[in-house]
Amino acid sequence: MSISLRRIGLVAARDYKATITSRAFLVGLFVMPVLFVIIFTLIPRILNSNSPQVVGEVTVIDPTGKVTAELQQTVTPAEIERRRSMEAGQNPAAPPAQPARTPVTVTGPAIPRLTLVPLPGDADVQARKPWLIQPRNATPQHLAIVVVRPDAVVRRADSGAFGNFDLYTSGHIDDNTETVLRGSVRAALIAARLHSVGEDPAAIATAEQVTQPDSVVVSATGEHAGSRGIARFLPFACGILIFISVISGGQALMTSTVEEKSNRVIEVLLAAVSPMELMSGKLLGHLGLGLTMTGIYLLMSFYTLGVYSMAALLEPMLIVYVLAFYMVTYMVFGSLMLTIGAAVNQMAEAQSLMGPVIILLVAGYSLTPIVGLAPNSSFSVAMSFIPPINTFAMIARVASSAPPPAWEVWTTLAIGCGTAALVVWFAAKVFKVALLMHGKPPNMATLVRWARMA
Amino acid sequence: MTAALEIQAIRKVFGDKVAIESLDLTIPQGAIYGLIGPSGAGKTTAIRMIMSILFPDSGSISLFGGGTALDAKDRIGYLPEERGSYRKMTVGAFLTYMGCLKGRTRAQASGRADRLLGRLGLTDVFAKKCEDLSKGMLQRVQFVAAIVNEPELLILDEPFGGLDPVSVRLLKEVIAEEHHRGATIIFSTHVMAHAEELCQQIVMIHQGRKVLDESIAGLRRQYDRRRILLEPLDPGANLLALKSVAGVENVKLNDQGCDIRLVEGTEPGSAMRALAGAVAPARIELARIRLEDVFIRLVSESGTANESHEALRTHLQGLSNTGASS
Repeated sequence: MSISLRRIGLVAARDYKATITSRAFLVGLFVMPVLFVIIFTLIPRILNSNSPQVVGEVTVIDPTGKVTAELQQTVTPAEIERRRSMEAGQNPAAPPAQPARTPVTVTGPAIPRLTLVPLPGDADVQARKPWLIQPRNATPQHLAIVVVRPDAVVRRADSGAFGNFDLYTSGHIDDNTETVLRGSVRAALIAARLHSVGEDPAAIATAEQVTQPDSVVVSATGEHAGSRGIARFLPFACGILIFISVISGGQALMTSTVEEKSNRVIEVLLAAVSPMELMSGKLLGHLGLGLTMTGIYLLMSFYTLGVYSMAALLEPMLIVYVLAFYMVTYMVFGSLMLTIGAAVNQMAEAQSLMGPVIILLVAGYSLTPIVGLAPNSSFSVAMSFIPPINTFAMIARVASSAPPPAWEVWTTLAIGCGTAALVVWFAAKVFKVALLMHGKPPNMATLVRWARMA
Repeated sequence: MTAALEIQAIRKVFGDKVAIESLDLTIPQGAIYGLIGPSGAGKTTAIRMIMSILFPDSGSISLFGGGTALDAKDRIGYLPEERGSYRKMTVGAFLTYMGCLKGRTRAQASGRADRLLGRLGLTDVFAKKCEDLSKGMLQRVQFVAAIVNEPELLILDEPFGGLDPVSVRLLKEVIAEEHHRGATIIFSTHVMAHAEELCQQIVMIHQGRKVLDESIAGLRRQYDRRRILLEPLDPGANLLALKSVAGVENVKLNDQGCDIRLVEGTEPGSAMRALAGAVAPARIELARIRLEDVFIRLVSESGTANESHEALRTHLQGLSNTGASS
């Protein structure tokens, strides 16, 4: 019996064309990139441009008599902006040390304008609490009551720790305003404590200003700006890219097989192609779909990283490895999904058989952030050689800041190819028998029995 | 002449059920064979094995003098009983795809599909989606898919099921054209009239075994020696009086005259002479065996026990060897 590459190509081309032009697949194909763009580009802009500024009053009960004055300073918009810049790793006072990349705008909601309402230090907080209860659109808004503890600035003799402050808030205060208020009170307390021991808070704040420089990655191919934050995310991103492409291609493969079986077109096809040709064509057609999807996602990643001048993170070899590991992973899981599609009569019956396959896939990509953080730990190395999740573990290591030696990568690929060959062999046997089977949906034991029958 | 199909002692078992047992069959090129039998007899299993969709547990199948259907898919057309199409594809795209799978170029497949659709009264469906067609139209499209590659061997499993009489007639005409073109045709049906009308040879399968392999011409030469048809010369003659003739078991009146059943063992020649003496006939003859009668007799007389199968085959052999006498 000869296998016709022409017929395999025809089946692959039909499946590819039929699926890629289907509305459901197109929606699925572009949902992820669109979400990606929204998350990384649009949401910060939306938050920046549309957040209304909160204007309101904050009551301060300060028995120490020293914190209120400091709080008047730390609650100003300029001081809040300065603290935000510091938290973002920038030094607002100093000029940039190196013009390495497009400046990252410190994003965030609008800075609230808070007016302090000081009360005497012995004021009754219980009597003041009703002040917080008012309609949502009342002006001015009563946002919070800050009660400073008596030992918040000067420690009691019998205690090694400073006292804290209590915060009572209105039901209408938003998370951003409360965060700003907490930060301002914290800064005021620190300043008051430093003043009480004769230190200059401004000098200490200046001394604390150490702007984190961007690292420069030096490699055989040249130098490029490093980015630790994104680099930490990269292993997971590669894992989820493979996961999404495999599950999308595999699901489409399974669905088309179930449809062919339930539409009774399968026997018409088997008159023209052998089961092996049909299976190979379908696998290749949907492999092409997955590659298209991966390509689109990679282009989107290039674009998004390019916006932040970080496109160099996607090194050519990393892309080659992503594609190679995608193909191996797809052959393993796609073959299993194809088998399930051939075995059942309708999609609803596939759910129970799909469970273990999905769990294995999810387990694989769930490993990627863990492996990415410790790419050369014993666990990570061991996972790189245990199929069928080894491809996820290895791509996470390859994408990490400390990639493994090449022989380990190729060993994982070889193990992956071996696993794929084994699963395709099993799938071919079940596929041949299952295609014309109708009636009671099979379980795993039945699939194994069919494989032995073939 | 090389056989288009040669089957030798194939056997197929599904679990505990023997689907096909010791089936031998040789079909010469250019013949039209009818594969008949009741539902569950094993016809579709046999056809699927011929198509290499299923494989026999033992025995062998060869097509065109050697090799299996896997080696000759481009030379075979197959219309399965459970046939479908890609619902979202246009008729033209579907038929072109099927033609290309069977070794034709796009232009060849598309051109022939267009011509055949026109021949079957579907001139305006080429650009329509399969899901937009009626069931009858879709069946004709599926028939076109089976012959779009100009097959040398055409296998049709219940091709007329669910079709209206006009479509049945059209399909029969196209099947006849395919036959005249030189194609060998095997078709399975349980509608005996279709088999009698179209086939040169009948193969009857019952409970997985071949119980009859006979030419239509041979079957037509056979007569039921216990049934005599009589048309009286005088339309007013008292036909019920024939009941009193020696050897007559019963008499059934019909529009033309009567159908007379003889007692077992009665010599038909003497009975016919006696009957003609009792009522002057315009026509008197032994009843011809109809395929349907053979089918019903075989099915009703066969049991599940092996002895009954042997008795069945013996009986068939007797039928085949019996000549006409009047």
